[in-house]
Amino acid sequence: MKVDFWGQEFEANVVVGAIGGFLIAVMSSMFGFGGGPFMVPLMTVGLRLPMYIVVGSSLLAIFFNTSMSSIRHFQFGNFDLILFLCMFPAALLGGYIGPQIAKRVNPIVVKRVACAGLLLLGLNLLGVY
Amino acid sequence: MKEKLKFLRVLSVFMACFLLAASAYGQEGAGPTLQIDKTSLNNGGTIKVTGQAPAGMPVYLEVWAADKAVRANFFDSKKDAKTGQIPYVFYLTYDMPAYYKIFVPVEQKDKIAELKKAGKKWKYSEAIKELGAEAAYSVPAKMKIDRYKASIMASIIGSRGDLLDPMDDKENKKRSMQLVKERFKELDKVLSPDVVVNPDGTFSAEIMIREGLAPGKYNIVAVCDKSMKSAPAVFENSISFPLVYLGTAGTSQNILWPFLLCLVISVFGVLMGAGGGFILNPILVSLFPLPHTIVAGTVMPTVLFSQGSGIYNYSKIKFINWKLGCTIGCAMLVGGFIGPKLTELITLDQFKFAFGWILMVLAALMYWQTTAGYLAKNKKEQAILKEFKKRAEEAAKAKQ
Repeated sequence: MKVDFWGQEFEANVVVGAIGGFLIAVMSSMFGFGGGPFMVPLMTVGLRLPMYIVVGSSLLAIFFNTSMSSIRHFQFGNFDLILFLCMFPAALLGGYIGPQIAKRVNPIVVKRVACAGLLLLGLNLLGVY
Repeated sequence: MKEKLKFLRVLSVFMACFLLAASAYGQEGAGPTLQIDKTSLNNGGTIKVTGQAPAGMPVYLEVWAADKAVRANFFDSKKDAKTGQIPYVFYLTYDMPAYYKIFVPVEQKDKIAELKKAGKKWKYSEAIKELGAEAAYSVPAKMKIDRYKASIMASIIGSRGDLLDPMDDKENKKRSMQLVKERFKELDKVLSPDVVVNPDGTFSAEIMIREGLAPGKYNIVAVCDKSMKSAPAVFENSISFPLVYLGTAGTSQNILWPFLLCLVISVFGVLMGAGGGFILNPILVSLFPLPHTIVAGTVMPTVLFSQGSGIYNYSKIKFINWKLGCTIGCAMLVGGFIGPKLTELITLDQFKFAFGWILMVLAALMYWQTTAGYLAKNKKEQAILKEFKKRAEEAAKAKQ
């Protein structure tokens, strides 16, 4: 598939994108996370697209998944309104505070810290300690 | 004459039913009696139960939340030892009491300690049998349990599978025990050796009701054997803000904690460029007694709004390739249709295990994003991105 972006043209393998997107969608909707950090590498490395196309378009693709799986989770009775109401404002507030702090910290340091944190959390879930 | 016969038949059926009911509740005078020292609790506490049972009989106390029920489900994918086939049957009930516990005689402490050695693989049905508590196990046995024959095809089209015929009482009881284990998970939560029975038949027990349980009415029934049960004693558990009862989870929760947790994690999520769900979900299921289905299903919609506003902002500066986004989006739509179905087929432990590996992969991706090669490439692209954004903003201004 040819992808047009601000006058530039890129060639993307949609089959790889669709299969990868499908698998990421199953996983992310099953476990209830967004899936952005998996979609971005898929589209940059797997489809060889530059970052500046990927940021917006991957968000759009994920939005499809999030809305569909929200509906499905609701159908299966997996939605708790009270829990949602106490987390939703927090998520919004976090969305405003986050970028303010982001300007003042070094993204590489944050990512290294996040990496260590994720490893610890993951090992904990795997029952290593 | 015929009319009279019919009447007699109806009457005899009625009488039989009555007798059965009467023996089931065992209020024939010979059964145990019980009293409780208070009838109301505030977010848990200890209730002293005393009573009189026939001398020499063991006494079990069955305690359950009478007016708050939750969903429980269990997916049977274990190979049947007899037939060698995997059943793939999904059991689902909406009638599981939000609290259920059997208190057994204190002498059985050792047996419970023994049962606990099985770790996470303990079996509720075996425990009940071992402790002789079969007669006390009655409330969950009467739950309405639906069962579905799951298949790969059914999972793909996102259905639970074909609804099978209702089970007979014995089978229903057996499956209800599996559901009890699936719901309460730990042996301590459903069995406890607290009843002190004296030789003369008087008994007493200090029943600890945990914090963070469902509000509402609770029933206590003393049971000696199948035909000897006391009338239920009722107490009420109440909770107050910030403790709120989560109907789907069946527990009360101080809602300030999820709020703070979500706030901190979503800030951090913005910083590291990954949605908060990755960290929020495992922490929620580890720290709070929330089912993983509820966590996954409730966290998902919280990000909808931020994603939507993100798309709006990008589309204003024409930073979205609609063709590409929608094509991959359609594939993700299908995936999002199937995924939520699979959540309820796995247990909490499997959920945690799989999530552990996902986080490992994510950590590797994060690390990759801090390596020199990636950074060099990223710097170049970020520069182009900025340039494009500037141009886009100028274009938007020019229009106005």
